[in-house]
Amino acid sequence: MLSNTPGSPTLHSTAAMAVELTGITKRFGVFVANDGIDLAVRRGEIHAIIGENGAGKTTLMNILFGLLQPDEGSIQLNGEEIVIADPSVAIKAGLGMVHQHFKLVPSLSVADNVFLGMEIRRHGLIDHAAQVARTRELSKRFGLQVDPTERVGLLSVGIEQRIEILKVLVRGARTIILDEPTAVLTPQESRELFQTLRSFVAEGMTVIFISHHLEEVMEVSDTVTVLRNGKKVATRPTAELSKDELVHMMVGREVSFDRRPRASLHGDVVLEVKDLWARDDRLLPALRDASFTVRSGEVVGIAGVAGNGQTELAEVLSGLRPASHGMAWLKGQNLTALSPAAIREAGLAHVPGDRMVRGVDRNASISANILMGRQHRAPWSRGGVLNWNAIGQNAETLIKDFDIRARGPGDAVKRLSGGNIQKVVLAREFTNGADFLLIDQPTRGVDIGAQEAIHDEIMRQRAAGRAILLISVQLDELAALADRILVMFNGRIMGEVAGDDADEERIGMMMAGVAAPELAAETA
Amino acid sequence: MMKDQLRAVSGQIIAIGVALLMGAIIILMVGESPVRVFMTLLRGAFGDQEKIAGTLLQTTPILICGVAACIGLRGGMFNVGIEGQLFLGGFAAAWVGFAMPLPAGIHTLAALALAVVAGAAWVAIPAYFRARYNTNEVVSTILSNYVAVLLTSYFTIFLFKRPGGWSETPPILPTSYLPEIFTFSRLNWGLVIGLMLAVGAALVFRYTKWGYSVTMVGSAPKFAEYGGVNVKRQGFMVLLLSGAVGGLAGGVETLGVHHRFMEGFAPGFGFDGLIAALLANGSPVATIFTALFFGALRNGSLLLEVDTSASREIITVIQALIILSVSAQVLVRKRGDSRAGERRWKF
Repeated sequence: MLSNTPGSPTLHSTAAMAVELTGITKRFGVFVANDGIDLAVRRGEIHAIIGENGAGKTTLMNILFGLLQPDEGSIQLNGEEIVIADPSVAIKAGLGMVHQHFKLVPSLSVADNVFLGMEIRRHGLIDHAAQVARTRELSKRFGLQVDPTERVGLLSVGIEQRIEILKVLVRGARTIILDEPTAVLTPQESRELFQTLRSFVAEGMTVIFISHHLEEVMEVSDTVTVLRNGKKVATRPTAELSKDELVHMMVGREVSFDRRPRASLHGDVVLEVKDLWARDDRLLPALRDASFTVRSGEVVGIAGVAGNGQTELAEVLSGLRPASHGMAWLKGQNLTALSPAAIREAGLAHVPGDRMVRGVDRNASISANILMGRQHRAPWSRGGVLNWNAIGQNAETLIKDFDIRARGPGDAVKRLSGGNIQKVVLAREFTNGADFLLIDQPTRGVDIGAQEAIHDEIMRQRAAGRAILLISVQLDELAALADRILVMFNGRIMGEVAGDDADEERIGMMMAGVAAPELAAETA
Repeated sequence: MMKDQLRAVSGQIIAIGVALLMGAIIILMVGESPVRVFMTLLRGAFGDQEKIAGTLLQTTPILICGVAACIGLRGGMFNVGIEGQLFLGGFAAAWVGFAMPLPAGIHTLAALALAVVAGAAWVAIPAYFRARYNTNEVVSTILSNYVAVLLTSYFTIFLFKRPGGWSETPPILPTSYLPEIFTFSRLNWGLVIGLMLAVGAALVFRYTKWGYSVTMVGSAPKFAEYGGVNVKRQGFMVLLLSGAVGGLAGGVETLGVHHRFMEGFAPGFGFDGLIAALLANGSPVATIFTALFFGALRNGSLLLEVDTSASREIITVIQALIILSVSAQVLVRKRGDSRAGERRWKF
């Protein structure tokens, strides 16, 4: 087995349960994050924990990993009671956790990162060759493809996650906790991850997998535990459950993922993009020769694995990145020559993909966040002086209209949950009177209830005659909302699919780089 | 919101308390009674009306420099060059004062105006490089201090030296004086200018479109850029304004206190102002109180060497301890979010 596995007696214990939590309660002030939760995870299973944002999944796992201490309740590992005072205790006991946010050193190699803090030494020096060999061996064994000698700073998020998993393995984990592992992955990468998770259980290890993606849970897990509002709803074998039942348990009501009904509204061309090129931060071509139009009353979707030029496209259209070649006209005005402020003036609303950095000032109030981009206009300001009364009242109205769960317009945005922060962004962008909505990953990291509300809002904007460019890595989202779907690969638009017959197979091929004509030839 | 502010304020007070406690230990180590030293400081700062006026006199330049620093901090700019801007502003005001006879009142305003221009012009160099090439303004403004101090010395000694006297310019004409408030002290209208600036800056930040844009540039630059704010231009403007107020601090000091420019004029006020602003968490109104605190320390220390065996330098030690404990306090309070600490101190 793993040479670094500590000779912990618990490994050889015969108890059937790898993890047993009993009556876990955790309060933050008056807020009860976990309310008497019991959880039993059988050894050698993939156990999914599913629930909406704020249901208490991460809190529960942080308690198990020793990052938080429970107010009540007890923890048993392999049948033995244990107090996990901090993560080092958890690691010694054979637990490993892969967090949502990675903590890697970009300037070090993959192998150096994996062994950081527990380097293999020879004559007092770090034995790089041995670290590389160990990393290579583990990555082969579990299908975690990485080049151990590559520098981490050059790698994609998907590969960074593999490195995090390798770190956990090297530290001798037998029970691995993954917190929303697929949130940063492309569909292909997710599938590879699931393969890896299955290879773990094949070797007798245990996997606890936090998610709010139904499909994934159905696909990969053996057992599901559903949390809602800090309480456990049920633990059931996955095979006995249908997707509908699962949704029902998560949100307590039915949610539809089906294609939204729509009337054909196609109006005038609002956005026209022609031969547009742009470079990424490393000055390499990232957007290549994109041409398309978006009409009023139309949702045009952009599908593609993250990092294939979608970000650059959004940044060029919003004036945050210069185009290296080509043009884009918004209602006849050439965007590529305009500043971000001028493009907004010309009629752009932008829901940015990087919500926390671009979309809000987390420390500012909801009012101040909603003011952004409209501070130049009456009634919000007159003669350079702000009217906070009007701004606050407007924020209050929008909090009601967009169902933002907050105490009031003075609340700091950082106090809100992810879904509610996104609603603040939508409330601001959808009400500034723009004709063109550039919407990037509207529901990333947002729980199902809020997802539905956001989709409803996008469809309302469509019905109101807005031209919408919807960039998403979630195919089901595009299939539900888009009239046409453009697929991007390596900075190019590979082809177009009508939303009505969005075919996952076909889109998937294009996302992998097969051009539409070739597809046509194949089927012919 | 209120709770956060309350926590921030109580945090600062605890930090100052810890610093005073450590100061007390050091006073014990030099063989003096902390109680006596602190009582002497208190008496020296607030003992009678002349002492209070003296404290307010010391507070004035610290307050104005503090407002200058607050303006920079609000826009995410760390102007460490206020000391240099103060020297140039002081010299510029003196030059108008002695070389350009004008009617009373107008003379004062003209001198102050040139002080403002001098401060802004001096910071314009680092500000330009920051906006154009993203140079770290901390380094360039620190370095510009040395040049400013030596440049004004050069002007004073080689170009405008008063015949026969110290290294100082000729005295300014009485028409350019800032009027004194009381007969028993040199305390002058500079204090009122400082208070108006502090309140004015707070109002501008809160109630103007420009203040809002600048605040957003300071706290979330990428968000501001996305929202259509010209981040580079606002960064430049903020540094320029900060430097202008720094220059004004020098002008007030010249016209209100010294009535001439001399070598080594107003040492350390620029840095004290920056520290007062940091201690006030970048709030101009709170800077009034922190500046008063530092002014009191400075004025109180005058009595120290007379009445106790402690050196006046002990207040520099206490100030340094305050900086340490306040920065530690910020990091402790925002534990886990070390970026907040980095942003605040930015070194």
